[in-house]
Amino acid sequence: MEESSSRNMRREEAKKVRQKTVKKRSTEEEEEEQDEIFNFNKKPAEEEEEEEDEDLSDSEDSVFSGLEDSGSDSEDEEEEGSNDKEDGDDEGLKTGPEESEQIEEEKGGVTHKKQEDEYERDSSDEEDIRNTVGNIPMEWYRDFPHIGYDLDGKKIYKPIRNKDELDEFLDKMENPDYWRTVHDKQTGSDIVLSDEQVELVNRLQRGQFGDVNFNEYQPQVEFFSGDLMVHPVSNRPADKRSFIPSLIEKEKVSKLVHAIKMGWIKPRRQDDDSRGRYYDLWTNEDSSILAKHRMHLPAPKIPLPGHHESYNPPPEYLFTDEERALWEQQDLSDRKFPFVPQRFSSLRQVPAFPRFIHERFERCLDLYLCPRQRKMRVNVNPEDLIPKLPKPKDLQPFPTTQSLVYRGHSGLVRSISVSPSGQWLASGSDDGSVRFWEVRSSRCMKTVQVGGAVRSVAWNPNPSVCLLAVALDSVVLILSPSLADRQVVSSSERLLSGQQEEEPAEGVGPVTWSEGEGEELNQGIRLKIQHPKAVHQVAWHAKGDYLASVMPDHSSHLQVFIHQVSRRRSQNPFRKNKGLVQCVSFHPVRPYFFVATQRSVRIYNLVKQEMTKKLQANSKWISSMAVHPGGDHVVCGSYDCRLSWFDLDLSTKPYKMLRHHKKAVRGVAYHRLYPLFASASDDGSVIVCHGTVYNDLLQNPLIVPVKVLRGHVITHDLGVLDVTFHPTQPWIFSSGSDATIRLFT
Amino acid sequence: MSQLQARFFTENKRYVVDDVPFSIPAGAEVLDLSNVINKLLEAKNASHSKVEFDFLVRGQFLRTSLSTHMETEGISTEDVVEIEYVERITAPEPEECMMHDDWISSVDADAEWILTGSYDKTARIWSVEGKAVMTVAGHTDVVKDVAWVKRDGLTSLLLTASLDQTVLLWEWNSERNKVKARHCCRGHTGSVDTVATDPTGSKFCSGSWDKMLKIWSAVPTDEADEVEEPADRPRKKQKTQQLGLTRTPLMTLSGHNEAVSSVLWCDSEELCSASWDHTIRVWDVETGGMKTTLTGSKVFNCISYSPLCRRLASGSTDRHIRLWDPRTKDGSLVLLSLTSHTGWVTAVKWAPSHEHQLVSGSLDNLVKLWDTRSCKAPLYDLAAHEDKVFCVDWTESGLMLSGGADNKLYTYRYSACQTDAGA
Repeated sequence: MEESSSRNMRREEAKKVRQKTVKKRSTEEEEEEQDEIFNFNKKPAEEEEEEEDEDLSDSEDSVFSGLEDSGSDSEDEEEEGSNDKEDGDDEGLKTGPEESEQIEEEKGGVTHKKQEDEYERDSSDEEDIRNTVGNIPMEWYRDFPHIGYDLDGKKIYKPIRNKDELDEFLDKMENPDYWRTVHDKQTGSDIVLSDEQVELVNRLQRGQFGDVNFNEYQPQVEFFSGDLMVHPVSNRPADKRSFIPSLIEKEKVSKLVHAIKMGWIKPRRQDDDSRGRYYDLWTNEDSSILAKHRMHLPAPKIPLPGHHESYNPPPEYLFTDEERALWEQQDLSDRKFPFVPQRFSSLRQVPAFPRFIHERFERCLDLYLCPRQRKMRVNVNPEDLIPKLPKPKDLQPFPTTQSLVYRGHSGLVRSISVSPSGQWLASGSDDGSVRFWEVRSSRCMKTVQVGGAVRSVAWNPNPSVCLLAVALDSVVLILSPSLADRQVVSSSERLLSGQQEEEPAEGVGPVTWSEGEGEELNQGIRLKIQHPKAVHQVAWHAKGDYLASVMPDHSSHLQVFIHQVSRRRSQNPFRKNKGLVQCVSFHPVRPYFFVATQRSVRIYNLVKQEMTKKLQANSKWISSMAVHPGGDHVVCGSYDCRLSWFDLDLSTKPYKMLRHHKKAVRGVAYHRLYPLFASASDDGSVIVCHGTVYNDLLQNPLIVPVKVLRGHVITHDLGVLDVTFHPTQPWIFSSGSDATIRLFT
Repeated sequence: MSQLQARFFTENKRYVVDDVPFSIPAGAEVLDLSNVINKLLEAKNASHSKVEFDFLVRGQFLRTSLSTHMETEGISTEDVVEIEYVERITAPEPEECMMHDDWISSVDADAEWILTGSYDKTARIWSVEGKAVMTVAGHTDVVKDVAWVKRDGLTSLLLTASLDQTVLLWEWNSERNKVKARHCCRGHTGSVDTVATDPTGSKFCSGSWDKMLKIWSAVPTDEADEVEEPADRPRKKQKTQQLGLTRTPLMTLSGHNEAVSSVLWCDSEELCSASWDHTIRVWDVETGGMKTTLTGSKVFNCISYSPLCRRLASGSTDRHIRLWDPRTKDGSLVLLSLTSHTGWVTAVKWAPSHEHQLVSGSLDNLVKLWDTRSCKAPLYDLAAHEDKVFCVDWTESGLMLSGGADNKLYTYRYSACQTDAGA
């Protein structure tokens, strides 16, 4: 009961406050009050407690009673749980005590009966129901002695008003509480407002909340903010329906599914436009016009205006003096803008654009001239067009550096040839000599003076004989240099001396055969074949018995002779003149004969005696030709700096044209074993190319230029005149107009 | 400049210094180190005269500053560096120049006499002082190689190989100065480019352009081997009859695919040949079988074998001298490449008494003296020749010889470096 005792104490205090505020309270009243308490005390203890609570709250809140009814909401809420049912009379009680006291003051003992019926005066719109007249103008009772009726229907008499104006005035002057005394019209009595009530009135007049303790600027708790909360707003467990599929929906869906299955529901039908909703205007139009329309290109969009076009551009867009000068110097088409950015303080001050018509015209012109045709441009990366070639480093071996220089000739060296063993090198020069060099030491082992500028030398490719064919002027000499084994020398002797007796019978032809004599024999000149005209080239057949010689002549069909050395016979294979013959070559294995004229290469079958192929070199003047050791490829050099590679299986057109030389190509050569070929040119360089040939017909030859070899000095506008490979090593010999022969390894 | 801790040592007893680490500047070069050693030696021995030294760090000659060298060789500078020092090999001094009538193709020298082969179809014998003693004429074509066989007192046997496909065995009496062709060795069908005598002097081997190696007896006899010559060439036969008795090979070794360029005897049972087919082959003389093939990438011009270091040196048609181990089974492994020449290397020769030195001649007119411990650069360039160098040789008596296309045979005196011969 500590609690109740403390409450009693507080109640005492509250009483004191009440005594203070209500001055007119009499001792009778106090008795009444005590009586009231006594009455309350007759109730059960629990109720009493509650009543006390109410009273307590009443006493504390009573200062505002009758003037506010929601000020202490929070307190009400706190107590809500326990005295829900007293809510109603709590409201009533709030206004209750003072007025009931006042009534009691007038009526005496009847009042405590009313107190018993708590709901007696309960009304939402009538605060004071001691007077039952309601909310009427009280002037209506001005002339009556009463001002209304109480609940029992008895008149409520006006208080005896004995105050006249003078009393009023005196009261006004003397009564210090006059200013807080208000006249209650319904009861006709004067009420002196307590300090709290005055304060409340002042607060309300100032537009403030009635409750002093109410903080209207309480911090707001934002539940639904952007911040991610750790805890849920409410601790309520999730609804079961939130995680259990809805049975109703399931039922609905299954119904729909069933309907679709049964075909009751059909998918939404597409609106068919073909029923003449739209009419194709162009169906009967000419297709070319249609195509033109389909290819329509919209005019390019004019870019949006930028800052520089503003009437008040930012200062960085304005021209500096240099920029302006530059702009003025520039050509119209080079200018970045067709105008100078200018600054005006307002749009109003912008003058008319002087070139407006001109500018409009140009725009229209742009539109008019804009290409309206789609250009079918193929997007090709230039890198892709370059064929993927292996690096030269991976294609070794090939000659790279100059190793030896063979010096001794005094004139330009027109032709060189390597012996089939690779031990000897023969060279023919304009100084009238043929020299034999030891390859490995660059030693000139033998010099044969032949008495005329040597045009061509060719070593017999047969390794069992050792013979050299030399073309000078109109003579072809067969030399036996006796630089080989005795067996070889003797076999070549035998080849030369065979069938000698047949010679006279053949003597009538244009070619005469004669043997070397005297000093010539000592030098090794064994046979002389006199031709009617100057011989430019000699070429051996691979077997080493047949020899072809070339006498270029426009007017005659006597341009090529094929000689058989063993039988000392010569014949002219061609009856017609097909053009100026440049060079000839035998096929390495098959009975084919290659004849290069100025523009083309003809391939003849010697057995069938017919032309099998004609290769068109896309060049003006073929200078030299070489046949691949496999026989299926031919490379031609021409005076117009080109090198053309023909794949005989592929086409009669060149498979590849190489234009690496700056000047006329003079000589070409294939390597016998390595996939190499080379070309010599008047620009003093020899270009070595890698040329792999595949047995697979589908795979084209791989041609990679690998090395440019320089060394020869250009004299009299002539550079390298002949080029030939070593038969077994990846070495190349070149002879030049500077009277030297060079070996590159 | 930082300092390095270095400890010096030498094989030579004369120049030993205390075995304590010295602190030397990292930027020190050969000359600085040499001065240091000389100072130390002077402190020990007042009568010491200044000697030039060369320094070896981990078996490599010091050629730059010490710090650079150690950086390139990847040697830690934290530890004490072991530096070996040897007396510097002095530059070979040119001695004699022997003029020939034509290019010199080959040279073979011993302690007393020098034998040269020339393109004028003769071989010549010179004294080491440079006096022409004898001209050995008889070949019908260029002499490609020459070799001494053996010497018994005043009588010497010598070989000349020629382009005329024969090898001639001559007997030369130095007192009477008479030379006599004892045997004409026939059988090759190409130019005989190389000939080598076995260590015992009883056999020799020849290599030829016809891809064959032939082994012959080097013992002169008075009987000719019967040769089944075709009878239809009387003229040639007459010529050969003048040149001693015909001899046929004891054995023919075939296997090379290209011309044989150089042949030598590793020992009396083993033969080594280099060829244009990019291989070096080692042959067993007893069985005539091939033992090992070393495959290169370029034509081999010459090989030389040093029994001291058991290495094979080869010169090829590129610029490099390569060192091989002939004992490796699948040998295509180059132990070391010496690169400084700019032309084909036509001749290499190991020093007879020094395991690290070799001399090489090249088409770039230079003769170079190499030390394998300094593979980046040669010790000395001998630029006496005005044309291609074809042959080089050493003698144990301290001569280096080189001959070439300028018809001159140069001899150089070199310090027969006995000091670190046993190193």
